[in-house]
Amino acid sequence: MFEFLAYDLRKRLKGSVYLTVGMGLLTSMMIWVYPSFGNTFEGDELLDAYPPQLVQLFDIRTIGSLEGFLAFELYVFGWVILLGLYVAYSAASIVAEEIDRGRMDALLAMPVSRRRLLGEKFAALGLPIGLVNVAIPPVVIVGAGVIDEPISAADVAVLHLLSVPYLFACASIGLLASVVFDRASVAQRVALGVTFALFLTESVLTGTQYELVGAIAPMRYFDPNAVLLDGSYDFVGAAILVVTTATLLLSSQLWFRRKDI
Amino acid sequence: MAAIEIDGLTKDYGSVLANDGLELTVEEGEIFGYLGPNGAGKTTTIRMLLGFIRPTSGTARVLGRDIRDERALIEAKRSIGYLSDEPGFDEQATGTEILELHAAVKGDTRSEELLELFEPPLDRPIREYSRGNVQKLGLVTTFMHDPDLVILDEPTSGLDPLMQQRFGEFLRGERDRGVTVFFSSHILGEVRRLCERVGIIRGGELVTVEPIDTLLMQSGKTVRLSSRQPIPDDVLAIDGVSDLETGSAGGGATDGFTECAFTFTGDINELLARLPTEDLLDCSIEEAPLEDVFMQFYGGDSDV
Repeated sequence: MFEFLAYDLRKRLKGSVYLTVGMGLLTSMMIWVYPSFGNTFEGDELLDAYPPQLVQLFDIRTIGSLEGFLAFELYVFGWVILLGLYVAYSAASIVAEEIDRGRMDALLAMPVSRRRLLGEKFAALGLPIGLVNVAIPPVVIVGAGVIDEPISAADVAVLHLLSVPYLFACASIGLLASVVFDRASVAQRVALGVTFALFLTESVLTGTQYELVGAIAPMRYFDPNAVLLDGSYDFVGAAILVVTTATLLLSSQLWFRRKDI
Repeated sequence: MAAIEIDGLTKDYGSVLANDGLELTVEEGEIFGYLGPNGAGKTTTIRMLLGFIRPTSGTARVLGRDIRDERALIEAKRSIGYLSDEPGFDEQATGTEILELHAAVKGDTRSEELLELFEPPLDRPIREYSRGNVQKLGLVTTFMHDPDLVILDEPTSGLDPLMQQRFGEFLRGERDRGVTVFFSSHILGEVRRLCERVGIIRGGELVTVEPIDTLLMQSGKTVRLSSRQPIPDDVLAIDGVSDLETGSAGGGATDGFTECAFTFTGDINELLARLPTEDLLDCSIEEAPLEDVFMQFYGGDSDV
């Protein structure tokens, strides 16, 4: 049991470390530039100059405090969009790339069910998702201390915790694309396209009569602003994301079982 | 119990009927050659046997287990070795890492012995492997868990002649230990050296299943002769000569010919005894290409 998980974890280790270092640099840079923003502009002076569409798109509430600045610059942009797309793209390769490169036969010739193979390969995405969310909170908390803008450690920790089900939900979108499409390039494009489209749907429709449509987007259930600015934690949203992930994973497994490879 | 029982196995892709109602039984402990030109449907059959693609109708049993039942087939796979026609391994991994994964999942009782025999470069990443090295690693993963049944799709492609011979000897040794071997090929010579029985597939249909000796007797050889002195026509007026084409180097000779090519299906000794050996410039006797066998036995309308 778990041989494929162990193998994939080893395979993903290097990439996960690079990803974490990259996000660490992004985080440090955001925190480092914040004081010059704060000193140059009074309150939300800069934000007032932004086009309102952009403010709505990225759900920017304020950049007058470090929390608001990070919620937008780091978490909406870095976590919701960048990491969401990254895990969707990675998951899209799981099956499609193995088939595309003619490697799936050698795997399935072994005594393993398709369901287990898919489950273990998907679970291995827990490494990049876990590593980045364990390593970055200390950077944020220490960084905030260094620029003398202390931030609630509990809020930061919970924010990262809540981002885990969000990222798995994005990954499960990629996984489904991966079993539906045979060619890796197609699966990857579809995963990126769908994930980004869901983000846009959720952002653009908020506050309109079609707001309900945005409920299908994982982004609806993970709100960095609410956590950092209001200290409100949406655990129900997290549960919805867990259920979404489980549903998409099961659907992918069923599809994969019936698929001619 | 037969190692493989194929029962009405059909795969219909809509535009192509890749396998059409195949019926075939492979007994335990035999080396069975599955022969056919590229595109005949060999790989389709093999991939159905391993559960990679689902039959449109019909079924098969490998080691007594129905291929349509995933759980049963997984049990069977513990005792099956498989080598694909184009084995693919994780390009980033080294050969050692690949073997470790295979060993963890299905066990490893003899990789040491196999590595001495086939010698893939284990320390290097797969992306640096040549086609032949991938094939060697594939052979190790196929046999490392000491399977009862091995299914090999074009196993010698990519192997150099020395390695092909070593592989042939190894396969006969496996057969003697009681292992059942089912392998596909489009090379008649290779099948002749290794198999006891062959099945020939053409256009998705199994056209014949015969012991190799019977097939070879029928298939014939391509003979080419070149002589200093004209050879009388009646030298080749014996049973088993067909498709005779003659010519004369000088152009003027009327009785006989100095060059000829024909297909011969009789006893090669009888033919040689009739030839005027002292005047021959050249004589070649080659196995007829598989395509010719099809042409000869299954009619000129062959689309192979």
